[in-house]
Amino acid sequence: MTSTMQHELQELREAAESYGARHVHLAHFAYPPGIRMAVNLTVDFDAMLLRRASNEPPMQLAKGEFGGRVGIWRLLELFASHSMHATIFTPGRICELYPQAVVAAARAGHEIADHMWEHRVPKERDLEYDHLVKSTQAIVRIIGRRPVGTRSHHTPAFLTQLGYIYTSTDTADHLPYYVADAQHQNVLLNLPFHYAIDDAMFFNFGWIGSGPHGQRLADPESVLEIWWDAFQSLYKQGSYLNVCLHPFISGRALRTAMLDRFITRMQALPGVWFTTCETLARYCLEHFPPPRG
Amino acid sequence: MPWKDGYTTSDEKSLADQEVRWPEGKQCACVIVIDLSVASGPAGITPADLTTAASQFGTQVGVRSLLEMLQRFDMTATFAVPAVIAELYPATVRAILEHGHEVAAHGFKHEDVSQLDKDQERERLEAATASLTRITGQRPAGWYSLPRQRDPFAVGTISPHTIDLLLDAGYEYMGNGLADDMPYYWVTDVQTPRALLTLPYYYHFDDQFFLMFPPPGLGSGLENPKPFLTNCLLEFDAQYKRGRYFSMVLHPHIIGFGHRIRILEALFSHLQDFPGIWNPTAVQCAHYWQAHYPARTTLHLEPSIWQDYPGSLS
Repeated sequence: MTSTMQHELQELREAAESYGARHVHLAHFAYPPGIRMAVNLTVDFDAMLLRRASNEPPMQLAKGEFGGRVGIWRLLELFASHSMHATIFTPGRICELYPQAVVAAARAGHEIADHMWEHRVPKERDLEYDHLVKSTQAIVRIIGRRPVGTRSHHTPAFLTQLGYIYTSTDTADHLPYYVADAQHQNVLLNLPFHYAIDDAMFFNFGWIGSGPHGQRLADPESVLEIWWDAFQSLYKQGSYLNVCLHPFISGRALRTAMLDRFITRMQALPGVWFTTCETLARYCLEHFPPPRG
Repeated sequence: MPWKDGYTTSDEKSLADQEVRWPEGKQCACVIVIDLSVASGPAGITPADLTTAASQFGTQVGVRSLLEMLQRFDMTATFAVPAVIAELYPATVRAILEHGHEVAAHGFKHEDVSQLDKDQERERLEAATASLTRITGQRPAGWYSLPRQRDPFAVGTISPHTIDLLLDAGYEYMGNGLADDMPYYWVTDVQTPRALLTLPYYYHFDDQFFLMFPPPGLGSGLENPKPFLTNCLLEFDAQYKRGRYFSMVLHPHIIGFGHRIRILEALFSHLQDFPGIWNPTAVQCAHYWQAHYPARTTLHLEPSIWQDYPGSLS
């Protein structure tokens, strides 16, 4: 190995070790007695905000609008029909666009959590903080309770400062884990969700500007097969599943019907704990707290 | 910002399933839309687009296959016809009308109007209306702006003025909107309120995105007949159960060929097993909806609680 290569290797080692040291995996994690696996049904109630932020044309916004006018109500009905509570990750602006739906979700016992003010995290630090405060306040104003969770890549220092206890973003483990920021501070619990269990990856044309090349036009049968396979594998391990749904996608009748079948199948097995992210997060924090210092 | 402009086009909540009633107690509305445009780009139909085998197939062979299939299952459809297609193939338009189907407008030449100014767009809209009126003998009641295979988004391209211009021109419905899976009102002025009845479209029930898609030049298209059929069947089943509305969009040059026409046969056969399907043309559906669910009583426009802030999108 030449000295240049040694230097390259050293650089890589430092990056990997530093990144690894930010994560705490819960080697001895266990669920409450009688529980084999937790399932968090999560809803990213974005509607048209991401499309608006990317300056997409009017019909694309209307596609998102479906989520607020129709889709969210269908998902709420679906959860009610199975007597289960979900977590609705709600951008602050949605509280102004679809207040009735957010209030109905909260009244039905679902958790309302943060999903960025207008579905973007500004690069400017002050503005980012301002957005997170606005989003938090918008939720407080409408449901009278502070959100404790987020699905975002907001700066962890801001999140902890504003009382957030968990995030639900990346997938560095099957099970919940702790992750610190780049300065190895501001630890948050992460409830991992995987893009393979995200409806947007299967049913959405032109996702993130991919155009016709990035065709995502699966039918619900083939996705049910993938998700059921994922569930069975995780159930065997006594692990954890976070299902990510968007009202403008999964609120379409053909997909709500598929989710109904998916939930019915999962529910038929013993020891599946359908709960909100907050409930699971509080359980983890109480029984498997993050290491101190 | 007045109301929620730039974000929403309709009211906050769609009609619940139990609020929906169809004529004579029918269970579900089923509207078949056939796009008579040929494969083209944002410029609309060009001479090059019309001098392809696919275009020849669609306008001569495919459209006949579809008319036969509709007749065999005793179904009606609405044909979205670019004015230039009606000018070039008037006999086809006459055949469509003789079969009892509706001819609706689909642009002057299915061009993207989003970059035009309001006067240019109005001029094209009026020319399209005049052509179709002359050729069919009556003013088109509906307007479509359906997507093309090469569009970056599979939703259709309109301008911020399109809906207003359609209302000015006396159109009774817009054929493709995405904010509902039922007829709904597209609001252009919340005070009046000024709104255009809109029928739903969704690309998961549009043949052109499943059969040899993406098209040559954008990728090597995959033939996915089964996901298309599955999507349509599952959507129909779910909407039937809810008592709502099912619609699909078909292209003669795409679904009119060989094995693909069998997708349609399978779907139409499936529909036969369900009692209480109402299969109107789009305009019949629009008239029913306007009579029984007028905007005046159906639209619930809540006062806006939106506020503008520095550093936030308005």
